[in-house]
Amino acid sequence: MARFDYLEPRSLDEALRMLADGGNSTRLVAGSTDFLVRWRTGVWRPDSVVCMQHVPGLDHITWNPDDGLSIGAMATVQDIEQNGDVRSRYPALVAGATAFAGVQVRNLATVAGNVCNASPAGDTLPALLAYNAQCRIIGTGGERWLPMDEVFVAPGRTALESGEILTEIRLPPPAENTGGLYIKHSPRGAMDISAVGVASVVSLNADGTCASARIALGAVAPTPMRAYGAEGRLVGQIPDAANIAEAGRLAAQSCNPIADVRSGADYRREMVRVLTERTLSHAVATAGNPPSYDDIRRLAVQTAW
Amino acid sequence: MTTATQFKVLEQNHPRVDAYEKVTGRAAYASDVYLPGMLACKLLPSARNHARIVSIDTGEAAALPGVRAVITGTDFPDIRFGSGALRDRYVMPREVVNFVGEPIAAVAADDEATAQEAIELIKVEYEDIPSVVNPLSAMVEGAASVHPELESYEGYGFTLGHNVSTLLDADRGDVEQAFRDADVVVEDVYRSQGINQGFLEPMACVADVEPSGRLVVYASTQGPYQIRAGLAAVLEMPVSRIRIVPMELGGGFGAKLRLAFEAFPALLAMRTGRPVKLVNTREEVFTMNGPRLPVTNYVRSGVMNDGTIVAREAYTIFDVGAYLGAGPNSGIGHGIGAYRIPNFRLRSYGVYTNKIYVGSYRASGVADMTFAVESHMDHIAQQIGMDPYDLRLHNALREGDVSVSGAVVPSNGLIETLEAIKEKMEWPRQLEDGHGLGLALCEWRSGSGPSTAAISVNDDGTVSLLTGSTDISGSDTSLAAIAAEALGIPMGSVIVAKRDTDMAPYTGQSGGSRVVYSQGTAVQRAAEDTVQKLMALAAERLGVPEDALGCEDGRVYVMDNEPQGLTFAQLAAASITSRGGPIIGTAALSSMPYTPVFATQAAEVKVDRDTGQIKLLRYVQAQDVGVAINPMAVEGQLDGGVVQGIGRALTEDQQFDPDNGAVRNPSFASYLMPLAIDLPEIEDVLIRVPAEDGPFGARAVAEPPGFGPPAAIANAVYDAVGVRVKQLPLSGERVLAALNGDYDEIPFDVEALRLAEGII
Ligand SMILES: Cc1cc2nc3c(=O)[nH]c(=O)nc-3n(C[C@H](O)[C@H](O)[C@H](O)COP(=O)(O)OP(=O)(O)OC[C@H]3O[C@@H](n4cnc5c(N)ncnc54)[C@H](O)[C@@H]3O)c2cc1C
Repeated sequence: MARFDYLEPRSLDEALRMLADGGNSTRLVAGSTDFLVRWRTGVWRPDSVVCMQHVPGLDHITWNPDDGLSIGAMATVQDIEQNGDVRSRYPALVAGATAFAGVQVRNLATVAGNVCNASPAGDTLPALLAYNAQCRIIGTGGERWLPMDEVFVAPGRTALESGEILTEIRLPPPAENTGGLYIKHSPRGAMDISAVGVASVVSLNADGTCASARIALGAVAPTPMRAYGAEGRLVGQIPDAANIAEAGRLAAQSCNPIADVRSGADYRREMVRVLTERTLSHAVATAGNPPSYDDIRRLAVQTAW
Repeated sequence: MTTATQFKVLEQNHPRVDAYEKVTGRAAYASDVYLPGMLACKLLPSARNHARIVSIDTGEAAALPGVRAVITGTDFPDIRFGSGALRDRYVMPREVVNFVGEPIAAVAADDEATAQEAIELIKVEYEDIPSVVNPLSAMVEGAASVHPELESYEGYGFTLGHNVSTLLDADRGDVEQAFRDADVVVEDVYRSQGINQGFLEPMACVADVEPSGRLVVYASTQGPYQIRAGLAAVLEMPVSRIRIVPMELGGGFGAKLRLAFEAFPALLAMRTGRPVKLVNTREEVFTMNGPRLPVTNYVRSGVMNDGTIVAREAYTIFDVGAYLGAGPNSGIGHGIGAYRIPNFRLRSYGVYTNKIYVGSYRASGVADMTFAVESHMDHIAQQIGMDPYDLRLHNALREGDVSVSGAVVPSNGLIETLEAIKEKMEWPRQLEDGHGLGLALCEWRSGSGPSTAAISVNDDGTVSLLTGSTDISGSDTSLAAIAAEALGIPMGSVIVAKRDTDMAPYTGQSGGSRVVYSQGTAVQRAAEDTVQKLMALAAERLGVPEDALGCEDGRVYVMDNEPQGLTFAQLAAASITSRGGPIIGTAALSSMPYTPVFATQAAEVKVDRDTGQIKLLRYVQAQDVGVAINPMAVEGQLDGGVVQGIGRALTEDQQFDPDNGAVRNPSFASYLMPLAIDLPEIEDVLIRVPAEDGPFGARAVAEPPGFGPPAAIANAVYDAVGVRVKQLPLSGERVLAALNGDYDEIPFDVEALRLAEGII
């Protein structure tokens, strides 16, 4: 429980300056839900902490048909879970949000913090990957955009440079006839870190074939990852039971899980297969016809089907 | 027998007597104690699981500004103490550490951050000693010794060889012959996991030395007199020099029955002359304070084709970790379950390993035994093609049978609990695919031990009740209800005194299902004593013989002439100048007769065949409570116990590193207790066959609810998908492995154990 200076910038510029001044001994925080745990256990010992709570203009969630969804860096997981636009257009992200921790933590935790924390088990990350999200990153040198699947480098490490801030996450508008779901596999119905998480987002052509399929896996590799092989198997195909089963098998093959207190490696791999099938089947079944929030919530967290 | 309708106070719901304090946050817990000049204490955990301490350099820590004292093991008197049957440990190790996490130094500083900083400046040089982590390996010749000097320890009764701290046995009849005569022999090995008590409030205490040199400790404890005795032993002080003030208890479940960490702030307070507070972190609770450790259970039964169980053999290996923090004694009596089995051989081994020492938890060991015995019952039923319900009914203990300990089973409601569950669950029932039902019987006994109570009558006709028992799960409210019933006054007229070890008479711990049953009996008797004194005084004042008087509604009256009488208030006022002086009723007892508690539980589950995960759809329990002192509190106990049992069944699992025994998941983020979302509504049926003893016929309630869920759920899983998982928790991973046919039986060399005793 080391002591630190607590800094509250009132603008992004000020925040960037504080980060630049503090260098490696400064830590940026948003909701602090990851920060406080690591500080208390001594894993992180910054000399100063820069808190973004009072930087204006970062807590928005907006949607428009051209740009899609824009999530500000201070928008919380609870904001996402409760947002009508997100609920009707990005069900897999709602599933990730509702499966996340419990209400108290969701009220503090930010989606951007979930990204920057880069845990392989982060619950919003598979959906962000499956929706092809883009990250807007600013630094003292200016601004850049990075696709989500280039953000995660290693457990707890992102492609952000020291002193950079993720200010906005953007999800392109979904194509017509798109469906999606995230399922979190954990022994408990809430307040649990995922043993495995799988998000699938499928867009169908008028003839019933897959225009696109994106499958993202959590907690089964050093970073959240896309299952490109499994996706490729579906594009241009009718997503029938046989093709979905094959995609599940390929997704399971593509991951690289570890064994830990939560689960063995083989079991994780098998769960990737099962959850890939389940999320894909649901995505196909609900394409263009989004499920109710209650259904999303039930499917995302129920322990047994 | 008294029936429910005859009661004026009992059998009705009463909110807790301390409800206002609790809901307004005013109730004071040990961490709420702030004394002037108070220092903060932090502990240094051992980094090794078996090592000689070559040196501990505390110089830099002691020199840090704000640090007031640093202590290590050698600062304590050179005295071994024990919290189980054996004196096998030092309060802080002097030369050798025995588990990762064992506190080896303590610091008192002006604030917590400084104390923690100082802890990190302490340098320890270790020299590793061979260690052993798995209890089955620890019993083998040539295994590393956890306690090489075991045989010299006070309390050690057997020379059993490797690392066996205790061996308990119970035998009856001709076991070998009965197995030869049996139509079918069924054999199983079960294993249950490490379990943390999971109480909400971490250990906390404040130690203060009064100017006279007397030590005062404010503590979160179930056993103030037991802490006093423990402190007296390790500090070499007479108990009269120590006062324990038990604060509100934020849960204990057995973990706070004995001396925990109180000696560290106590010695630091003695060194610095200032009050010292220690509030443990959750991680410290997980890594320093004894949980339950894994149990391996070998069970074999000889059964006749009609379902009669004629023989039982059970070998139970209790991993006790580094020290015997709690004995395996609770386990031994439960090897035959709630059944009449004429021939048995039961053995419980307590085996040392280099991991955190074993502690107590809600009838230590019995939940493990019940998982084995009740899963085994279903296995037997399956082997002989009998319905599991019928098998249980056929073998269930009846009045007049003899329990394992040799006591005759008195009247009880076991059969009624079975029948109630059959009706409520509509057993047997055809279910959809993947769904299943399972049963478990639970048995325990009402807790005994020294109990005392005093009741004084106040000027306004209310009474003050004084006992030495710490309130646990609303026990104060139940004691008040017993006093009110016995005195014939409303609940609101009973004041429950806050107490400490100077003020209240000696009593046993608040644990083991004994407070309401034993302590409650003392309260009932003290109330009766009070009534007798009130009647005697009234007889004197009214000029009538005592047997002409009645006592009701806070008033003593002449039975032939009801208007003539005196209220308790009038009598209390009169007593001040009376011959006998102010009215005070007292009672004390040392033990209570054997009074069993029985319950039947049933689970309905759905199993996900692809993930192996279990969804609990329904949970029903019927328990014979004798008389429900406070039905709301009884149901609270029943529900809480079942929820703990469901955690044991499905998700809770304190894991240990196979190499160094360190706790792998010392946090509630990875030690998964069930949440509301994971639970069905728990349905309770209270069966009321009054106990022959106990307050107004009440039986103990607390422990049995937690025993049943692992077996009931495992049996339901078998019913649902036809696989039997013999290892807890019943994780998706294990169930799926079983469904895929690659589930390994647990290896167990029972021959070696029989041979060691000369049984061929
Ligand atoms: C009890 C509990 C339960 C939890 N359960 C879950 C769960 O179920 N699922 C799950 O995924 N996570 C869970 N978490 C983890 C945590 O809540 C999430 O990772 C959360 O999204 C982090 O967001 P935050 O705003 O609190 O981040 P902070 O703690 O403030 O920061 C986390 C990290 O991200 C960096 N960071 C934050 N914002 C930015 C930014 N805009 N630009 C650059 N860097 C930034 C910080 O510097 C820090 O390194 C849980 C945590 C707790 C304490």
